[in-house]
Amino acid sequence: MTVVLDAVSKSFGNVKVLHDLSLDVQDGEFLVLLGASGSGKSTALRMIAGLETVSGGRISISGRDVTDELPKNRDVAMVFQSYALYPHKTVAENIGYPLKIRRMSRTDIETQVREVAAQVRIGELLERYPRELSGGQRQRVALARAMVRRPSVFLMDEPLSNLDAKLRGHMRAELKHMQHELGITTIYVTHDQIEAMTLAHRVALLEGGRLQQLAAPKTIYEDPENLFVAQFIGSPPMNVAHGRLDAGTFVIGQDRVATGGTETVSNAVIGLRAEDCQVVAPEDGAIRAQLFANELIGDHTLVTAKIGDDMVSIKAPKEFEAGFDEAIGIAFETDKLYLFNRDTGARIRRS
Amino acid sequence: MQWLFEPPSIRDMAPGTKVLVYAILTFWTAFVLFPIYWVLITSFKSAIDVNSGPVYLPFVDFQPSLHAWKELFVFDFWDTLSAYMNSLIIALSATAASVIIGSMASYALARFEYQPRFGVVFMFVLVMIGAFFTVGRYGVDWRLSCAAGVAVFYFLARALGRHFKARLSNGDILFWMISQRILAPIVVVVPIYMMFQQVSLLDTHIAIILTYTVINLPIVIWLMYDFFKSIPIDLEECAQLDGATRFRVFLDIVLPLSRSGLAATTLLVMILSWNEYLLALFLSTSRAQTMPILVAAMNAGERGILWWSMSVVIIVMIIPVVILAIILQRYISKGLLLGAVKG
Repeated sequence: MTVVLDAVSKSFGNVKVLHDLSLDVQDGEFLVLLGASGSGKSTALRMIAGLETVSGGRISISGRDVTDELPKNRDVAMVFQSYALYPHKTVAENIGYPLKIRRMSRTDIETQVREVAAQVRIGELLERYPRELSGGQRQRVALARAMVRRPSVFLMDEPLSNLDAKLRGHMRAELKHMQHELGITTIYVTHDQIEAMTLAHRVALLEGGRLQQLAAPKTIYEDPENLFVAQFIGSPPMNVAHGRLDAGTFVIGQDRVATGGTETVSNAVIGLRAEDCQVVAPEDGAIRAQLFANELIGDHTLVTAKIGDDMVSIKAPKEFEAGFDEAIGIAFETDKLYLFNRDTGARIRRS
Repeated sequence: MQWLFEPPSIRDMAPGTKVLVYAILTFWTAFVLFPIYWVLITSFKSAIDVNSGPVYLPFVDFQPSLHAWKELFVFDFWDTLSAYMNSLIIALSATAASVIIGSMASYALARFEYQPRFGVVFMFVLVMIGAFFTVGRYGVDWRLSCAAGVAVFYFLARALGRHFKARLSNGDILFWMISQRILAPIVVVVPIYMMFQQVSLLDTHIAIILTYTVINLPIVIWLMYDFFKSIPIDLEECAQLDGATRFRVFLDIVLPLSRSGLAATTLLVMILSWNEYLLALFLSTSRAQTMPILVAAMNAGERGILWWSMSVVIIVMIIPVVILAIILQRYISKGLLLGAVKG
């Protein structure tokens, strides 16, 4: 089912935490709301759920305006970061609770609970209490409880952040597979960009209560809308160096990089992905830099270098070796570089 | 649960220590139980045994007799039974009412934000004082006066309400509640008496039940407030998303999780209502007389203080409270919220 947010905003007192957010979530889509803490992503999710009132704008689910509906009338299920399992109910009672409220018969509840429990592989835990379960098992129970009544929309508020790293990776894959299988529209909140990139059909990146970019993971990585998006997405984040843009030439220290285009921006930023750069001899590179440190990661060496005052990271072959403070050159293809206006953060697109 | 001081099990102690620990425990048990023992043997004592100095052991120090028990349960059977039933009906009803109403009020204060305008609240108090004044001074029928007061308040609030800017918060309401309990009951007992006189409810169960409910509400609200606050809000939000109404959330999630608080509060309120004397003294004369009044009547007769009869009454008075405590104590347990949320 579709979820449409039309210029939704939220203020707490005089503080505006969400500015006119508009989203159009397709049927069966996995949309990730990504952002740092305080970016408004959780508030947006809670407003879709109906747990938070709307200060402005409309929300509709499956074409029905639910802006003023109570949470229980929105036909959405939510998985909380804390799992929010009812501690006085067994696993079976926890999963069956949404059905019990809908006055379903006892036998129907039992069959459905068993079915969904088998799906998330907790069939043998049904008689236990939440306190007797491990973190991963609790996570599955919370998931089963959300799945059992086939809601129009799944809402997930950082569901994996309380799991240890190994389990998180595993659950991530399971979640993705399950969402594909059930085909239920999912809105997923996270601060973890890896989670966002791996799970999402589309990522909505929020910062300061404003939507920065809404695009498929590949697009958001390869074609960032602004400096913030470029620096948020990617591990390591995009390298930036400050200089000025002079009619199609980027001037950084004594180096001049031909960028194409004709703009002149006095306070500009050049952006480069770590994997698009090569370390070469100082006289062969487009930009000269000073080596700061190099770390062997395994399949590659991560070279940190200084361009003026800016630190940049470069992925070099694992055989790379160099001494500290050695002068190096950085080479790259011109079409792999990004230009931004440093004052506004906006991308400068070359015509 | 981490303990600052983890006491070793008594089974793991050295024999010498064990003996010492048991000795101390035995002494303490005797110390705590002695008053009850004293009441019990006094109820079997005759007047001479009581007045001729302390005697401790039945059959050794004195010859027990059933005269006090006989007096209360044979000669005065109907009076005793009536007072006992009055006490039971009043204490149980008042406890149930104050726990039910109080826990709901407390939950509302813990989870909803109220911002009544100060001016409107003040206006309500003024209008009600005015209504009361017309009853007292001009003999207007109280029902008429109350209805008129509410109507006047409604229209005044509609007309002027939004001009008042200052607002009260939940904390103010909560403090107002407990301030009703800070007030000494003796201050309000005469007004309460007069109010029930107006509506001809003196010496009835309903009057005492209403009064006890009201004086116990602040205690219930204050005690339950902390319990409700400590329940993770995620659980309630999750239940709402699962399709539950606010009331259903309260019944299915909040109450079961705060049952140890409810049990403790119920017990406390029950004991307070069961033992209450002052208000019962004013509000009951004969038909609605409760047990504490009966006990007090025993040291006012021309025969002097009837220690033996008092002891009998005290023993039968302890029984319901003990039964309730035994029933409720299994609900008073720790760790109910374990496993609800990770954090």
